[in-house]
Parts: sequence; C-alpha cells; structure tokens
Amino acid sequence: MKKLIPLLLAALLTVSCLRLPEIISSSQSAKNTAVCPAPFTKEKYRFVHAIEASIAGEAGGALIGVTIVDPTLRFVSCAIMTVEGLVLFQAESGKSLRVIKALHPFDSEEFAVNLIADIKLIFFAPAGELEKAGKTEAGATVCRYRQQDGRRVDVISDSRGNSEINLYSSWKNLKRRILLTPSGGSSYQRIELQARETVNYSLIMTLIEAQPIEGDTAQDESKSQE
Amino acid sequence: MKKIFPFGLLLILMLLMSSPAAADDFARLRDESANIKTIRARFIQKKFMKILSRPLVSDGKFYYAAPASFRWEYVAPVKSIALAYKGEVKKYSQSGGKMVEDQTGGARAMKIVLNDVLAWMSGHFDQNPAFAATLREGTYTEITLKPVGDNFAGLLEKIEIIVARKDRTIKSIKITENKNDYTLIEFKDVEVNQPVSDSVFQVI
Repeated sequence: MKKLIPLLLAALLTVSCLRLPEIISSSQSAKNTAVCPAPFTKEKYRFVHAIEASIAGEAGGALIGVTIVDPTLRFVSCAIMTVEGLVLFQAESGKSLRVIKALHPFDSEEFAVNLIADIKLIFFAPAGELEKAGKTEAGATVCRYRQQDGRRVDVISDSRGNSEINLYSSWKNLKRRILLTPSGGSSYQRIELQARETVNYSLIMTLIEAQPIEGDTAQDESKSQE
Repeated sequence: MKKIFPFGLLLILMLLMSSPAAADDFARLRDESANIKTIRARFIQKKFMKILSRPLVSDGKFYYAAPASFRWEYVAPVKSIALAYKGEVKKYSQSGGKMVEDQTGGARAMKIVLNDVLAWMSGHFDQNPAFAATLREGTYTEITLKPVGDNFAGLLEKIEIIVARKDRTIKSIKITENKNDYTLIEFKDVEVNQPVSDSVFQVI
C-alpha cells in the first residue's frame, strides 16, 4: 500500500494540472490588461520551422512548416512539407478556411480546422475578453481570456521570459499546452505544443528563419495561389 | 488514398540512371548504367513556393553502391537519412536530439516504391509505365519524365534531369509539383566508381 501512495499522489497532481487552475489576484490586478504577457507577433511575419511530430507518444517524423501570420487581419497562410520538399498540406484562413492542398493523412477537414486553430493560438493574442489577471501558484504572471464559446485561454509568462499558452475547454479541461522559449529576439525560436484530443499529439518546432512581411498579406497570398 | 511518393528515392533513381548518359537514346543509357558501381555526391536542394519569399535551401550527401544500396542524407537545416541495404529500406529523422527511425506512412511508402527503384536501377528508365520519358540533346542532355494517367495527379507534374554532355555528370534535377511549387536539386562533387564502405548504408 505504501508503494501505491506516491503513484496516487502523482496521478492526482497530473489530473489537477489538466484542469483550469486558480489564479491568485488582488482586486487591483484582476482586470489590469497592462500586466498581461504578450509574446504574440505584432506585425506580419513569415516563419519557417523544423517540426518534430509525435502522435500518441510515437515519433512521427520530421517536417518543415511555413507560416505567414497577419495579426491585424488574423490571417494565416501555412504549408507543411516533407524534408524532401513535397508539400503535404497547404491552406489559408482569414474570414474563412481555404485548403489549397491536402494529401493523406492530412486530408481531413478536422485536421485543417485544428491546425489553423493551433496556429492562431500560437501566434495571435486571444480573441476573448480578459476574465482575470494575476499570478499562478508558481508565481508567474497570468492572464485568462474567456472566449464566446466558454473556452478559456491562459497566457503565462515566467521570470525567465518563457511563455505558456494553455487552452481549456468549456468543461475546464486542458486541450492545448504551448510553451514558447524565446531566443535571438524571437518568441518563436522553439515552440512546444501538446494537444489532448482523442489521439494526443505533440509538436516541437524549431525556428529556421523568421522574416517580417510588408504589404497586404491576405490579398497577396490569395492572388499567389490563383 | 494518395500515396506519398518519396522524392528522395526518386532523386536517387534519377541520378543513377542519368549519370552514365552518353548517348541520345535510352537503350544506350541502359547499357552504360551497367558500368556504374558506386556514386557519391553532395547536393543542394532549393524548394520554391509562392508562400516562401526566397527558396528554402537544404544540403546533404548521397551515396550509392550497386546493386541496391543507397544513402540519401539531409544535413541541414533538418537532419534526415534514408538508407537502403540488402532489400531493407529505413528512414530516420531527428527527434528529441537523436535520430529515430520513422515508422510513419512516409517510411512505409518508401518500401513500397522500392520495387520501382530496383527496376529503374537495372536500366529500365523509359519502361516504367507510370512515367513517359523523353530525352533531348542540347548544350546538356535533358531527360523529362511525366506521369502517365492520374498516378501522381496533384502531386507531381514533371521531373527534369540535366546531365553535362562533356563529363556526363549530373548537374541538376527539377521536380515540378505544379505551376507554383518546384524543387531544384543541384549536385556537386559527383564521384563515380570510387570506394564506398558498406557501413555507409547501415550506420546512421
């Protein structure tokens, strides 16, 4: 029985980490947006990342991801390709989602919707209203945004400059955990995403290059694919 | 279900089959391919896409030993290795700081395509019903492969291989996916029939 206690404690801790945590805040800080972490890109950018994918705990091979983000329009254009250069998936999303190319196993609508949602979660400030600001139990700064559908997004920043973005379902269960480890002036030097779905998956994205973009991204990208 | 065709294999096949090209017909190409025992080379791969403002550049190394051993290795920016040795094909990718065998569909597809690889390596370059092959002599020898039917619809439009007429070394391979996207591979330091250790095809 003694041997079981640490295991039970570990299990309880794991479960508690997967639920929407309490935010410690004073009445003054609770709605103060000025204190909120904002690791998100503020201008149009093109990112190229090496992607290490893992599905249900098994290594899923190396890929390369190209992402164009325009935070003003909340526009995303993205492509996933093999190391050999074969484009497996390409899509863009502004007001609506447009899949340009999708090969198996990237050809389901669910994949496209989730991928774009993940990209927006990583690169754009949460769309919902600030629900609460304060500190985590560990002392990091956190702001919680409530979205229209009842989901919450916590944006957390620790004293070392690392950021964490956590998405919780309307049932307060953790759905996404994104860790941003900045380096060389970019918040997106290393992105680690853990997704809790029917089949869990994780991505480790390492920056190959980042480049600011001038001009009307959404228009340019739509034209380029015609 | 569309099969994900491993471009690495395709490139290797192209290199094997076109390096010995000293004539303007495929029969002679086939005959001369029998002289190739080993190849080793470096390559620079440039991926062109509209979504990229400038090409994405990768570099790597390639080794081949007759009859069916090869190594196609990307060194940067993403490490990846495909090995074929004694009928077994494996693909490795970097994961968690170490090279891990890729067990996904891409690696399995490589094994499926191995039969095609072997057919092409034996010189049947223009006899694969999946591709229509043409050869044109100019400043360079240019071989063009176009998929027949809808085998590669939406995946591959054509493959163009450029071979130097003077020394018969491969210059480049261009793989066109569609009007917006193509991959250009340029070979450097190509060495034919130089010693290549068996361990190159077994050890990552």
